[in-house]
Amino acid sequence: MKRYFPIIFLFAAAPLFIAGQTPAPAPAQQQPVYIYGATAHLGNGQVIENSAIAFDKGKITFVGEAGNLREGEGHLRINATGKHIYPGFIAPATNLGLVDIEAVRATRDFREVGSMNPNVRSLIAYNTDSEIIPTVRCRGVLLAQVRPEGGRISGLSSVVQLDAWNWEDAAYRADDGLFLNWPGLASYNRREQRLSTNKEYEKQVQEVRDFFAEAKAYLDNPAPAKDNLKYDALRPVLEGKTRLYVQAQEAREIMNAVQLAAEFNMKLAIVDGRDAWMVADMLKAHDVAVVLRATQSLPARVDSDVDQPFKTPALLQQAGLLFCFGMDGFWEQRNLPFQAGQAVGYGLDYEQAVAALTSNTARILGIGDRTGTLEVGKDANLFISEGDALDIRSSQLIRAFIQGREINLDNKQKAWYRKFKAKYDEGR
Amino acid sequence: MACMKRLLTTFYLLAGLILALPAQETFPHNGVYGHRERYYAFTGATVYTTFNQKVDNATLLIREGKVLSVTPGGPVPQGAVEVKLDGKTVYPGFIDLYSSYGLPQPKTEREGRQREEQMLSDKPGAYAWNEALRPEYHAHEFFNADDKAADGYRQQGFTTVATHQMDGISRGTSALVALGDESPHEMIIREQAAHHLSFRKGTSSQDYPSSLMGAIALLRQTYYDGQWYAGQDKETNLSLEAWNAVQGLPQVFEVSGRLEALRAAKIGREFDKHYIIKGSGDEYQRLDELKALGAPFILPLDFPDAYDVEDPYDAQLVSLEQMKHWELAPSNPARAANAGIELALTMDGLEKPQEFLSNLRKAVRQGLSEQDALKALTYTPAKLVGAWKELGSLEPGKWANFFITDGNIFDDGARILHTWVKGNAYVHHRLDSDALLGQYQLTVGAVAYMLEVKGEAASPKMTAYSADGQDTIKVKFEQQDALITLSFNPKKGQGAVRLSGTASGKNWAGRGQDADGNWLDWSAAYTGPVEERSRKKEDKPEAGEPGPVTYPFTAFGWTERPKPQTYLIRNATVWTNEDAGILENTDVLLQNGKIAQAGKGLKASGAIEVDGTGKHLTPGIIDEHSHIAISRGVNEGTQASSAEVRIGDVVNSEDVNIYRQLSGGVTTSQLLHGSANPIGGQSALIKLRWGYTPEEMKFEKADGFIKFALGENVKQSNWGDNRTTRFPQTRMGVEQVYVDHFTRAREYGKLKRSGKPYRKDLEMEALLEVLEGRRFITCHSYRQSEINMLMKVAERFGFRINTFTHILEGYKVADKMAEHGVGGSTFSDWWAYKYEVMEAIPYNGALMHEQGVTVAFNSDDAEMARRLNQEAAKAVLFGGVSEQDALKFVTLNPAKLLHIDNRVGSIKVGKDADVVLWSDHPLSMYAKADMSFIDGALFFSREEDMQRRLAMQAERNRLIQKMLKARQGGERTQGARGQRQYREYHCDDDDDEAR
Repeated sequence: MKRYFPIIFLFAAAPLFIAGQTPAPAPAQQQPVYIYGATAHLGNGQVIENSAIAFDKGKITFVGEAGNLREGEGHLRINATGKHIYPGFIAPATNLGLVDIEAVRATRDFREVGSMNPNVRSLIAYNTDSEIIPTVRCRGVLLAQVRPEGGRISGLSSVVQLDAWNWEDAAYRADDGLFLNWPGLASYNRREQRLSTNKEYEKQVQEVRDFFAEAKAYLDNPAPAKDNLKYDALRPVLEGKTRLYVQAQEAREIMNAVQLAAEFNMKLAIVDGRDAWMVADMLKAHDVAVVLRATQSLPARVDSDVDQPFKTPALLQQAGLLFCFGMDGFWEQRNLPFQAGQAVGYGLDYEQAVAALTSNTARILGIGDRTGTLEVGKDANLFISEGDALDIRSSQLIRAFIQGREINLDNKQKAWYRKFKAKYDEGR
Repeated sequence: MACMKRLLTTFYLLAGLILALPAQETFPHNGVYGHRERYYAFTGATVYTTFNQKVDNATLLIREGKVLSVTPGGPVPQGAVEVKLDGKTVYPGFIDLYSSYGLPQPKTEREGRQREEQMLSDKPGAYAWNEALRPEYHAHEFFNADDKAADGYRQQGFTTVATHQMDGISRGTSALVALGDESPHEMIIREQAAHHLSFRKGTSSQDYPSSLMGAIALLRQTYYDGQWYAGQDKETNLSLEAWNAVQGLPQVFEVSGRLEALRAAKIGREFDKHYIIKGSGDEYQRLDELKALGAPFILPLDFPDAYDVEDPYDAQLVSLEQMKHWELAPSNPARAANAGIELALTMDGLEKPQEFLSNLRKAVRQGLSEQDALKALTYTPAKLVGAWKELGSLEPGKWANFFITDGNIFDDGARILHTWVKGNAYVHHRLDSDALLGQYQLTVGAVAYMLEVKGEAASPKMTAYSADGQDTIKVKFEQQDALITLSFNPKKGQGAVRLSGTASGKNWAGRGQDADGNWLDWSAAYTGPVEERSRKKEDKPEAGEPGPVTYPFTAFGWTERPKPQTYLIRNATVWTNEDAGILENTDVLLQNGKIAQAGKGLKASGAIEVDGTGKHLTPGIIDEHSHIAISRGVNEGTQASSAEVRIGDVVNSEDVNIYRQLSGGVTTSQLLHGSANPIGGQSALIKLRWGYTPEEMKFEKADGFIKFALGENVKQSNWGDNRTTRFPQTRMGVEQVYVDHFTRAREYGKLKRSGKPYRKDLEMEALLEVLEGRRFITCHSYRQSEINMLMKVAERFGFRINTFTHILEGYKVADKMAEHGVGGSTFSDWWAYKYEVMEAIPYNGALMHEQGVTVAFNSDDAEMARRLNQEAAKAVLFGGVSEQDALKFVTLNPAKLLHIDNRVGSIKVGKDADVVLWSDHPLSMYAKADMSFIDGALFFSREEDMQRRLAMQAERNRLIQKMLKARQGGERTQGARGQRQYREYHCDDDDDEAR
């Protein structure tokens, strides 16, 4: 029976994807919803077998054992027996919505000219109508932190929910963080095909330090002579209201970034963090979070353990670090849950893996009070899956809700599938 | 006392005078012609007449630049100048066959940054189509002596080099030249010593070849073109003419690594060429295979410096391979010689010439016998270029090329005092430079001192002691021939006494000024030798045993390579991929490399039992589309067709991705050319036999395949605005490329069969094989229009496309594909990376499968290849393919597409024992390959891998400690730099890697 499921599901979804259009965003939640019988992964490490989850007006109203909730008047009842419920997964540090076709320059909206662009805002370029987004939602990714790339300081990220009419609608937390690319200690020489020392390293770090120092002096000055948009944009991060995201991979780069962030009292997250496990104690001591690179990466060095990237998440967990799963790319975000699944195969506790797709991510992005777990009062961002959502075989999504709104799980790829399935089935 | 080294001696003066006279018979002569025959008798020395014979207390006679005789204690004939060499040693001059001494720097034909593609040679004249072919370059036509460079050689004992311009694939000929500073007329010993080859195109600004396999193909084609040229009268090609002319010479082939040596030798076998291989210093890493080639090697002595590993994080940049190479490289010459490889040595590759002797001594300390070392620098190089009658020993009639030392040349302290080239002396140190050493009675005016001269003969220290013994005074001194200058401060804080005089034997005398400027007389009289401690340093004991050579020589290499054994895997869930389906609680016996039995309760005596309880056994994963294990370039995309290139020529057995993929259950991979051009190159099929050589990894007797490609890559759509020259730029043009090439291949076949003479064309040969059903096409493809087109072109020429790879819109024409009989090897879910993949869907595999197309999922990616089992699960997720069929997408189906399903792809008695034992359901995220077998040999075991990691850590640590010690001991080090990485290629990587 199982093998026919996806097809039934595809044809049952309504309204169907119409060529050239992404599904319309769902209207605000009209009716309370009551889902029962599923195994609920709360996102905070807890599991409830045979659970009941209820939500109304976009907020979760009940989480507990099925049977403990008397079904309310007018609830939409969803029997999810044998299925699994998860808080909506969150894709951090991605250019989802900022690019539609990687090789077509006209669709690439994530890299601005210049080295120091703290004032550049990704939210503005976020394309709610991207055909990529619905395919990503279908794996349970319901929120994303979209961020610019390139230069030394790339600009400001924003957290968006993935079912919106426009970027204002989509904004879940606007301008939530500042993205910085840490200078590399070693640089790859393409011709020599090897890494060698970056002789400019010290100078490049000093440039960053000077930039922050000058910005701080400017911001501390009640009457600066001239307005500086770039320095103004640094105010929230220098005041510790938003987070500084530093893209770094080598252990010593990470160490240096931690030191610099501490110098300016900035709240830091390391993005990529390939070697974060080597300096976990220091990260822990400085309360630094890690947005990890794809678990499914190649080992960095010839000598590295063949499964080093697979087991890195478990090492971070053991060290007690706050970390979440991430990966490069936009369409690739639909494979984000499997980065967690891969880590489970290499020692990471399953519910911790779920947390690193949900509550950990929400905490890092500063939205932990609103989403990331199945807890009363939080936004009803959640989905029901046929089985284990971290394992490809069983990760079929059945229904998904963003702020209580049941979103349309159709997408362009399903439409093409239906079209040609029908052609063959009907012998056309 | 640096000036000591610059002292002129009688010999140097004489030599200088000679230089003023042109020696050429045909030249006009200004002034009185005073011919000098340079008749010398060297007496008292130990003379090595050959590398393995010496004469003690010899008299060596030379005249007119040649050796007359070497006799023990022979008399000094009348007319000869005697040079007394008591206690000295004379060696035949060293010969270096690998040099570009005295030649101009190579120049590119096209200066500046290249914008557009360059299809043909820019070189004016009737030369080869490709600038990398330069057989017409004869070094002797451009040679001039370069005294500074020559001096660098002479100081290390060299008297002769074969010099060629190191530029191009065919680099032309080398000239054998003496290392004197006279006119080229005098210095050229042999105009054409050897023809030189390499796999690098050098300064050629032409695009082709951009890859190693392209360079190999060009070389191969040139051998055929030479044969063709000799029998034709239609065209003049000066390069081919020269090419044919140099074939009778010794052929020296420069390679950059152990695998390239194997590759060169393979070409040599094809064309019956016996190359002298100029190696790169890593020969010990594949010694058995290189020895088996029977080729002589010219080896460099450029041993790597230790790395700076003080910072524990920085040290991680340095790989185990780099560290091991640092430790073992100095033993390379010894290992090669002791294995019986015929050996010459070269100075090439050294940063500074003076490193040569110290590294030579290092090599000797590592076990190279002194006799082998001398042989490799004299006899062997002379013999290899056929110059043994003239060079390489001090036997009568040979050129008087030799050097004089004050000790055994292989001892650390020994110095080369003179180097004689064609009977002319080049002086590095005075023969009597130790003559100053001793005690003297120094009298300055009325004051007497005791003077001591001691220390190294090259830089002695002079100290004066006052008569009362109270003052110890440092004396500065200089000597120029017989002139001596001393200066010292008799009392601290007082002015200096300055003395100038002459030496007559060991007595010095002259005039000087005291601190007040008063003139006074001075003299010094020798009173006897200084009592000295032994100044010979103890040989530093080498710290500890060196680590073993592993195969391959990189992380995770083996000391013992796995061999087929008898394994009995018990009680596993067996995915047979046969009618039997999935068998629970089943035993499988692997024996003699094959699957011997499958069933319950099997018995096999002597078998290694493996408990499969709770585990799943599947056939090994087969990756239909891989670019791992390829050396220097995956694309030869510089022409619309590169059917002549072969991935099989450039398989890289040392790529760690092989091991990584074994850890993901991959046992067979098809290594494909990239997708930069419509007709790519020939594929290679390998089993991941980690540790074995490229040839040993190849899948035996597999059918030949060739990569084709369609769409944006071959149109160069995404490669920038400069890439608009090459045809085709549209899908329309792509069709015409195919029709044109197959039309020509058909005509080529007709001509070939007709028996008339024809030019063997490797590109056409490959396409003819396709037409004749002997080679099969795997075509990179995305859009349905072009997929359909290629099937139609094939049908028109009477063959079938074997496989569409990627085939992202295959679902749109799956019915047509099934009808044509072509398979689809696709990505599970990639899309959106370029325009032509915007209608790619993850249901593609399922839809094609349902239409009866043989479907495979491939990786095209070194990372993804490690988890193709998970990718197979996406066929279940997207489109509901059954789990058994989904597993076939990465096992049996690719086997079918590769025509190897009679050997692999299912668990069936008689098939190859290529199986994987998984910790869990093989399609699960949580499954790990615990064991990967190929041919019944265990190539990966997770348990053993854990042990190996610990061993590697220990070995790294040992080497790090050793390097730190070396640095503390004063050894030169280099910054922590990463290892040259083998690139992880994708289809569209088209960097030029043939330079």
